[in-house]
Amino acid sequence: MIRLLLRRLAQGLLVVFVLETITFFLVRLLPGNPFLGDRKLPEHIMAQLNNLYGLDQPAWVQYLNYWKGILLHGDFGPSLVREGVQVSTIISQAFPVSLEVGVVGMLIAVCVGIPAGMLAAWYRNRWPDALLMLPAMAGICIPAFVTAPVFGLVLGTHVPGLSVAGWDNPLCVVLPALTLGLINAAYIARLTRGGMVEVLAQDFVRTARAKGCGPVRLLYVHAMRSGLLPAVSYLGPAFAALITGSFVVETCFQVPGMGLHFVNATTDRDYFLIQGLVFCYGSLIVAANLVVDLVLVALNPRLRSQGTA
Amino acid sequence: MMLSACGDGRSSAEKFAEAGILVIGNNAEPQSLDPHKATAVADGKIISTMLEGLVRPDTQDEGRVHPGMAESWEHNADASEWTFHLRDAVWSDGKPVRAQDFVYAYKRLLHPKFAGRYAEMLYPLKGAEAYNKGRADWEEVGVQALDARTLRLTLNGPTPHLLQLVLHYTWSPLPEHHVEAHGGMLDRSSRWTHLGNWVGNGAYVYSGHRFNDYLSVSPNARYWRAGEVRNRGIRFLPIVNGYTETRMYMGGKLHITNNVPPEMLARACSVMPQHFCQDPYYCTIFYRLNTTRPPLDDARVRQALSLAIDRETLVGKVVRGAGKPTGVFTPPGAGYAAEPPAFMQRGSQAEREEEARRLLAEAGYAGGKGFPVLELMTTSRDVQRVMAETIQAMWKDVLGVHVEIRSCEWTAYKSAQQSMQYDISSSSWSGDYLDSSTFVELWRSGGGNNCTGWGSPDCDAAIQAARVCGDAAERKAHLRRAESIMLEAQPIIPLYTSERTYLKHPGISGWYPLMLDNHPLDAVQLPMTDKP
Repeated sequence: MIRLLLRRLAQGLLVVFVLETITFFLVRLLPGNPFLGDRKLPEHIMAQLNNLYGLDQPAWVQYLNYWKGILLHGDFGPSLVREGVQVSTIISQAFPVSLEVGVVGMLIAVCVGIPAGMLAAWYRNRWPDALLMLPAMAGICIPAFVTAPVFGLVLGTHVPGLSVAGWDNPLCVVLPALTLGLINAAYIARLTRGGMVEVLAQDFVRTARAKGCGPVRLLYVHAMRSGLLPAVSYLGPAFAALITGSFVVETCFQVPGMGLHFVNATTDRDYFLIQGLVFCYGSLIVAANLVVDLVLVALNPRLRSQGTA
Repeated sequence: MMLSACGDGRSSAEKFAEAGILVIGNNAEPQSLDPHKATAVADGKIISTMLEGLVRPDTQDEGRVHPGMAESWEHNADASEWTFHLRDAVWSDGKPVRAQDFVYAYKRLLHPKFAGRYAEMLYPLKGAEAYNKGRADWEEVGVQALDARTLRLTLNGPTPHLLQLVLHYTWSPLPEHHVEAHGGMLDRSSRWTHLGNWVGNGAYVYSGHRFNDYLSVSPNARYWRAGEVRNRGIRFLPIVNGYTETRMYMGGKLHITNNVPPEMLARACSVMPQHFCQDPYYCTIFYRLNTTRPPLDDARVRQALSLAIDRETLVGKVVRGAGKPTGVFTPPGAGYAAEPPAFMQRGSQAEREEEARRLLAEAGYAGGKGFPVLELMTTSRDVQRVMAETIQAMWKDVLGVHVEIRSCEWTAYKSAQQSMQYDISSSSWSGDYLDSSTFVELWRSGGGNNCTGWGSPDCDAAIQAARVCGDAAERKAHLRRAESIMLEAQPIIPLYTSERTYLKHPGISGWYPLMLDNHPLDAVQLPMTDKP
């Protein structure tokens, strides 16, 4: 188990390193630079700005300096667009907001998706199955840029306390979390149904039934453990994606989270901010996958022997 | 500051209004509050509430200015040397505002080692450009503090419109003592503008901020007109998306929005006519043509492309009336109205289209035969894309010419435009100050924002003549001549002058239509506050 953990951790660090390296060079290949504005800058000013931030140095020197900053000072560098502000300041302000939306969204996704998937599997190919899977399919197909404004208009303007958009009271989290939660609930419901249907057809379930095991015990004690495996593998990356923010949902609800920074930093060519955000996102994905691996091992003993082999 | 909208059924806009705080949509997250680093419109709106220059704008008439830090001023006969007498005012930390603070600020923005992005704004000062480019000493620049309360500005030539120029935030003073205490003049990472550190001389001081959420300012008790400030603070919301902003307004989150997207105009107009505002804006929407590439190097081709566009249809169908069709570049205003070029002055659109076909045939592309496929570059904004598609269809129908549309994200678009890697580029230009020179000067040969490759010695001569002319009427005549030379050659296709469409609470007073959209926000009073 410890060996598995260490191996996965080493792989994770390598992934983050490669991700940062690719991002570093890719963003510099994009047309334009961080100092382009509405008006063209005189060349001598552009040259000074490039010099100030070391962008006139060869790419490999910039690359070494970048890692030196992270490893020696734990510093992602300054934002090139919001001059005088550190990348770490921006991330530390935005991350808690996305985390809040993501956690509430994930709770909604799990609380709605898993029971719905299990019920649909139990009533496979009968009317409750269709009733549950139809909205789940719709949830997967309808993009967030449709659901978010509809929720904003329908719920935000008519349900007292809920907010159309903005982040000025504690209930502002509800609609963005609901939008994200229901989309993920749809995926989780489909995955849970698939996993459960497979498990419910297996011999040990039939044996348990023949021995007179009731439906609740059958579902929750016997079938759930292996039936949930596909949904659990999905949960890790989905959770990392949720807590690092969604651009569409954050734009529609004016949520000051990470998603807005992600896209704006890319369109603005704010090199250091992009790298900082990618670092953050990459680390979270790696961590979430690690947790999922451990959970899967706990749920499925067969993996344990493979992991240590 | 955080007010909850839940519980008692009142919207957050109502609660803020009761507290006397104006909530206003400000389009984008500001890049910087340092007037020497900021260039975006959103930044300028915030900075203008916190720093005051020599003069301040009028709430209703943009042609008028009022004494700001300067109590009075005089100039020599040809308006090339101005002397400003400063009032007894203090910074928000209690230190006096001195003439030296202006000198310090101008030196910082122009300093060859500072990389001030908007340094060009100060180029009307004598020797400023040379100093900024490292070709002259600071002593040669025409800024002088005669004593702590007297500032003398010496300009390159007669500048009768100087008071309009100095309204821009780049001409504001900086608290020298404070900037020096936070890293000094040339420190670009200085934290003097950060929350908790801010020192200014304007009506408000910086009081709160969260990225992509809000930025708030509250009244500066030491401001010299503190008693005349009509509200108890302003909350700027950086809402980029016009749909979100309009929804937020309808949901009671804002008092004034930044813009209503064209697709929502009809609904906004019908649902809340009392709230809907449409004001003239000092901004022109046009297409740049790359005149260094054939066949756009032929003026007849450019004229034909321009004539084939039915601007009335464009404004009516695409921007849904949020603009006025135009055949000139400078929007009318400030006593200046440009004449459309001779080839455009025809009665009907049908006649213009006929002339377009004739010109294209004359250039060797009768019926569009042999005309290469050109690329029309736009940003990814919906309205620009739809406009490009409409114009693409018009050119196809009228001239038989096919263009392909390339939709780019903003930085790639800007980069291609500035390095002239395009054929036709969708563009816009808004004035920095209310004077036609802010538009006409764009078309100097080799000018930084020209980006069409076009230039004409006659046009350059007329612009230069305007620069050294002390008589206001004569100066305008020179600028008009420069513009008509440019329009005749048609390196750009003017489409329409933009109008600002936004929503504003009907109970708000002290807010009037302004072409530059630089509303003095200290004069804005909310419906529920009698007097602060």
